[in-house]
Amino acid sequence: MKKMILRNVLLSAVLSATTSLSFAAEGVTIYGVKSVSGAFASYGKYADMGSKLAVEDYGTVLGQPVSYQTLDTEGNAGKAVRKVQEAISQDDARFFDGATLSSTALAIGKEVNKVNGVFVTPAGADELTGSDCNMSTFRWSVPTYGAIRETVKPLIDQFPDKKRWYTITPQYVFGEALLDNAKEVFAAEGIEHVGNSYHSLKEQEFSGYLTNAMAAQPDVLLLLNFGSQSSNALRQAINFGLKNQMTILMAWSSGLDQLQELGPDIAEGVYFGAQYWHTVDTPMNNALVKRVNEVYGMNPNYPLAADYISTTVILDAIAKAGTTDSAAVAKVMEGTTYAGPTGSETIRSADHQVLKDYYLLKGKSAADMADADDFVDIISSGKSFPDESTLMCKRS
Amino acid sequence: MSLYLFQILNGIGLGMIYFLISVGLTIIFGLLNFVNFAHGAFYLIGSYLCFTIVSLTGNFWLALALAPITVAILAFFTERTLIKRAYHLPHTYHILITLGIALIIQELTISVWGPIGKSVSVPDALQGVFQMGHFYYPKYRLFVILFSAVIAFALWLLLERTRFGALVRAGSEDAETVSLLGTHIHKLFSLTFALGVGLAGLAGVLAAPIRGVHPFVGVEVLGIAFVVVVIGGMGSFSGALIGGLIVGLVQSLMTTIWPQGSSLMIYGAMAFVILLRPYGLFGRA
Repeated sequence: MKKMILRNVLLSAVLSATTSLSFAAEGVTIYGVKSVSGAFASYGKYADMGSKLAVEDYGTVLGQPVSYQTLDTEGNAGKAVRKVQEAISQDDARFFDGATLSSTALAIGKEVNKVNGVFVTPAGADELTGSDCNMSTFRWSVPTYGAIRETVKPLIDQFPDKKRWYTITPQYVFGEALLDNAKEVFAAEGIEHVGNSYHSLKEQEFSGYLTNAMAAQPDVLLLLNFGSQSSNALRQAINFGLKNQMTILMAWSSGLDQLQELGPDIAEGVYFGAQYWHTVDTPMNNALVKRVNEVYGMNPNYPLAADYISTTVILDAIAKAGTTDSAAVAKVMEGTTYAGPTGSETIRSADHQVLKDYYLLKGKSAADMADADDFVDIISSGKSFPDESTLMCKRS
Repeated sequence: MSLYLFQILNGIGLGMIYFLISVGLTIIFGLLNFVNFAHGAFYLIGSYLCFTIVSLTGNFWLALALAPITVAILAFFTERTLIKRAYHLPHTYHILITLGIALIIQELTISVWGPIGKSVSVPDALQGVFQMGHFYYPKYRLFVILFSAVIAFALWLLLERTRFGALVRAGSEDAETVSLLGTHIHKLFSLTFALGVGLAGLAGVLAAPIRGVHPFVGVEVLGIAFVVVVIGGMGSFSGALIGGLIVGLVQSLMTTIWPQGSSLMIYGAMAFVILLRPYGLFGRA
């Protein structure tokens, strides 16, 4: 019996040593939490390509090879959390990026924070850097506050006579946040908010809501939904001839991939808010566009660029920290300024929000497009973030 | 024109689209007693074929003619090779097999056309809107209403006034007797399955300029189709028409009365009908 116990102890020790050695030999692994299958695969596929390319471009960090592993969320927050938990417990994973859905990102942020890891996400929920912020979670995308101020305000400035605005809003936290911010801007700028139609998260038929908008006779129709809902809302608004009756603004588009879906016939003359656009003239973005074209034969879109820079930021921080201790890496990331795809980007210490530009775009006609992806002109860009004194983020 | 009157017009338009989406499902269930969970996936093929044909030729009318026929031919061979082996099995097997087919179609669609959705332009002849006071109604949606009405009438004629329809109806009641009278019952069932699925393909083509095309549209469509069929009664042609119109009108009117609950109220209407008539408005026990 004693021999058996001794043998098991020795075996465990050998296995443990082997695992440690193999971890050391494998170097640093970045875990990409991506929806590469399921209903959000159109986003996750490109996000995955971005992280993979960033790891490939980085090569080594601290003299160790960098590797990448995809955790397919299948667009399901529950599955995402389970896979992250498994990676943490079985592979000692500490560095994560990605998550398409806000619900997924919020849940993963909490899991990663339990082990003092690092998680960089482009997800939309303001809670990530607000009421649910933590030491491990960092967000690259501009919050709803900036998305509204960098789209609605410039449009009001451009069309001071268009005083009547109508909104179509998905009724959940993200939509409500966009709507609240829009109402604040309307109040500050003397805009009459002539009506709002809420819709459910599953809605794909917008003719009824567009009819409500027509009845209110607005000057501007502001779409506060995103993804396939905003595409269908806009497509149907064009069907109903609203483009000729009012200005249309989609405050939160996903950029190039959404415009490729809509095409110039629908996008022409419509305004779009975007986190990223591939023609932005910054050194890092120019290099990224060149590299992505070389490797994938396409221009980078928002998910690809967001997850490329998210992965790169983590690896830069590991190099700067001189250690793979994730808590130390997270500390190094706080307050860091780096050359990102949108120009100079800074990770704010107070809430781990990346301070970066948001863009107002305007759709071109097919005849004006210089190439297949030249869907828009950049009308304006800028940084708008809530003041630190008003932040909901209270980290211990 | 008042907002509510316009929402009624809107609801009729929506209802006719829902009728087209669900009528194939109800025909297949009613006549073949087969539950087809791949119905939405065949709609998906129809919409992607429409996108491809319009992209290649710029001709929507060609897509309207070719895509449903192609989908029907595909369905015919699927039925001959796979579906017909499952008719005698319980409905759970039907669901299992057709869900598998739906997943295969969905993933093949992503492989061929990619994960990003596509848009199909409204044909030039139907561009523009009709103005009614402050409201505008797309010419294309009006065309869909009229075209669906013609399809509904033609289907009724086919199923109620032709030898083919009589044989199919008789076959659904007693396949063995019809077979003994000299009719090739399996071929008849294959044609019926192809007809039902072809209608899904037709709905995919007609809805493409309104809803766009994306790989996961099949699941959304299947949900609506089942709601319509449950309200109208499984297997009832008239039920699909009335059920479609009820769903369209409820959805459209609720977007003005209680916008955030308009989708929910579709299911509310379904629950209400089930409580009053468990087999649907035109269903049989």
